[in-house]
Amino acid sequence: MWVLMLPALVPVALFSVGPLLYGIGLAFTDARNARDHETSFVGLENLVQLLADDDFWSSFRIGMIWGVSVTVLQFLAALGLALLLNQDLRLRNVARVLAVVPWAMPPVVIGLMWKLVYHPDAGILNGLLGTDVNWLADFSLALPAIIVVGVWTGMPQTTVVLLAGLQGIPRELYEAGEVDGACRWRRFWSITLPQLRPVIVAITSLDFVWNVNQFGLVYVLTQGGPGGRTRLPMLFAYEEAFRYRYAGYASMLGLAMAVVVLAVLGLCLWRQMRETAR
Amino acid sequence: MRMKSALAAAAVIALAAGCGSGGSGGGQAEPGEPVKLTFLSLAWQKESLAANKQLVEEWNKANAGIQVTYVQGSWDNVNDQLVTQFAGGTAPDVIHNDSPALSGFAADGYLLDLSGRLPADLKADIPRPAWDTVTFGDGKGGQGVYGVPFLQESQVVIANRKLLDASGVRLPTPDNPWTWDEFAEAARKMTKDGVFGVAWPMKSPVNKTLNLALNFGGTFFRTAGGRTTVKVGPEEKQVLQRIHDQLYKDRSADPAALGQGTADPLPAFYKGEFAMLPAGVYLRQQVAEQAPDGFEWVTLPPLKGTTTQQGAVSQTLSIARDSKHPDEAMKFIAFFLNGPNQARLAKGDWLLPTSVKAASDPAITTKENGWDVATASAKDLVVAPFLRVNGFDEWKSKVATPVLQEFYSNKISIDEAARRLVADGDKVLERYQR
Repeated sequence: MWVLMLPALVPVALFSVGPLLYGIGLAFTDARNARDHETSFVGLENLVQLLADDDFWSSFRIGMIWGVSVTVLQFLAALGLALLLNQDLRLRNVARVLAVVPWAMPPVVIGLMWKLVYHPDAGILNGLLGTDVNWLADFSLALPAIIVVGVWTGMPQTTVVLLAGLQGIPRELYEAGEVDGACRWRRFWSITLPQLRPVIVAITSLDFVWNVNQFGLVYVLTQGGPGGRTRLPMLFAYEEAFRYRYAGYASMLGLAMAVVVLAVLGLCLWRQMRETAR
Repeated sequence: MRMKSALAAAAVIALAAGCGSGGSGGGQAEPGEPVKLTFLSLAWQKESLAANKQLVEEWNKANAGIQVTYVQGSWDNVNDQLVTQFAGGTAPDVIHNDSPALSGFAADGYLLDLSGRLPADLKADIPRPAWDTVTFGDGKGGQGVYGVPFLQESQVVIANRKLLDASGVRLPTPDNPWTWDEFAEAARKMTKDGVFGVAWPMKSPVNKTLNLALNFGGTFFRTAGGRTTVKVGPEEKQVLQRIHDQLYKDRSADPAALGQGTADPLPAFYKGEFAMLPAGVYLRQQVAEQAPDGFEWVTLPPLKGTTTQQGAVSQTLSIARDSKHPDEAMKFIAFFLNGPNQARLAKGDWLLPTSVKAASDPAITTKENGWDVATASAKDLVVAPFLRVNGFDEWKSKVATPVLQEFYSNKISIDEAARRLVADGDKVLERYQR
């Protein structure tokens, strides 16, 4: 039996599990990207250093602000859009296709496109508002500016998943609600939301993981600037590994982020399972 | 079935092995076959690109035995790219970079020490101070030469001719340059009717500030007993305070330019919204090409503090330590950077050549486009003190860039800026001195 699974397992082990274990191993060494460097095992030294690193904590805070606000805003906007697209509108199918378009774009292209939107001299945004703001270089505006882009980027898949969820809700429930005299709001609150709940939990936790691990988009937009105000944890790890060449330290950072994300996810899923079990 | 999966496993292993050995430069050349070299170039200005490619072509035509492939890189991400390529063993043989990046790569053992390999005439053609910008520790207590320096940049002032003449200030010459006081005075005189005297684009403030700080002897780093620490004393504060005064006390500097990159204020400069733009000599290229007809501009020599000295970094060509053909690579570099060729490269990039022979080339000593002033400023260049500081790059991006940006936008005082440059800076440098 295991022989039959081998062709599928070998690539997984070779290209996924292997590098993962290697990365975890690196986190406990003083590995550097240097030719003459002798790597040695240092135990938890990287972790100790990480916990005392102010730059890490500010990056972590930015990462959490980014992850939570993008996920929440994305969810609210996507829910609205999904409810709209679930109505019996004219040209509904065209609208559904249009809503998915951003999904087809690679993050780097989205980044370049929004960079043009935010451009201080030639940007559409300054043109529309008649302002003269350098959005991506302003210390207090840069983070909100990229959050908007993050929400825009992630909306399509959230919308599609929520829409699928909406269509799975049996019509009879709404009919029964109407018969009982429930108003629109009441029907939404007591039928739609509870029925969507598993879908919402699943897509929101997935979105959170994706957003916290976002890299390409922000790298293109700001490279973590100005003055580190948009330096998400993954950008921080990238800089540590490929700019300052502390590969071991960067691996520990990646590992710590993975643990945090897994903890958040675990909490959500555990609560969900407990609810369904009851 | 067992057979098939064994085959599949073997195929995967073969594939992985193939990936691992597909290393640099194509391996050892067969006898009679030409040696193949790759050359990573970072040229980006149009004329400079043309000059680079043409030189490679000329070399390939003249040397059938050593064929060079031109590979295009970009200043934006060259160091990230090199870290990965070095680690993966796929680095190019000949590498174009600048001296601040070399010290790290040299200490990590990725670059070849050229000191025993330099041809005598190349070595003699480039003066000592330029070689100082590429001489670094090898990470094991020794010193080596890790590149051939060929283009340098000095900070000059590009000025609007009409506004300059109208103000009636004395015109500075290379022999009798403006002091910073005269410069401030001139900027004040030119500030009227909505026109500003000067613009300081400070999106990337660190190198500009540090190079100019040497005018007053400001070095920003101090090494004692093998430990390097950050130092911000009265000498370092001079240039910081003078630029800040122009922005917020004299109000002779255009506030709109402050957050911009070096070339961004040019459209406003052509419109006459401000009179003077302190910038690297290379910026003359864009002014010469883009300025509207009838726009007259001049290049003013570097300013004088207690001296006219400025910190210099160089563009460099290096050889990867893992290159299989270092001797051939050295021959190519010696050709690429000989006097006449350096003059072509300098002209293409509008920078200053290190070669003494190239510096006397009529093409870069003409009055046209301020070449005479630019080339004369080469005498003021001394090795930038921060070049030898291990960890400078991290200090620059994590500490100095945000602090200087906040200081120039008047969010923090000069004492607070100095405190953070030193306290946060020493913490960063600590990491490199364990």
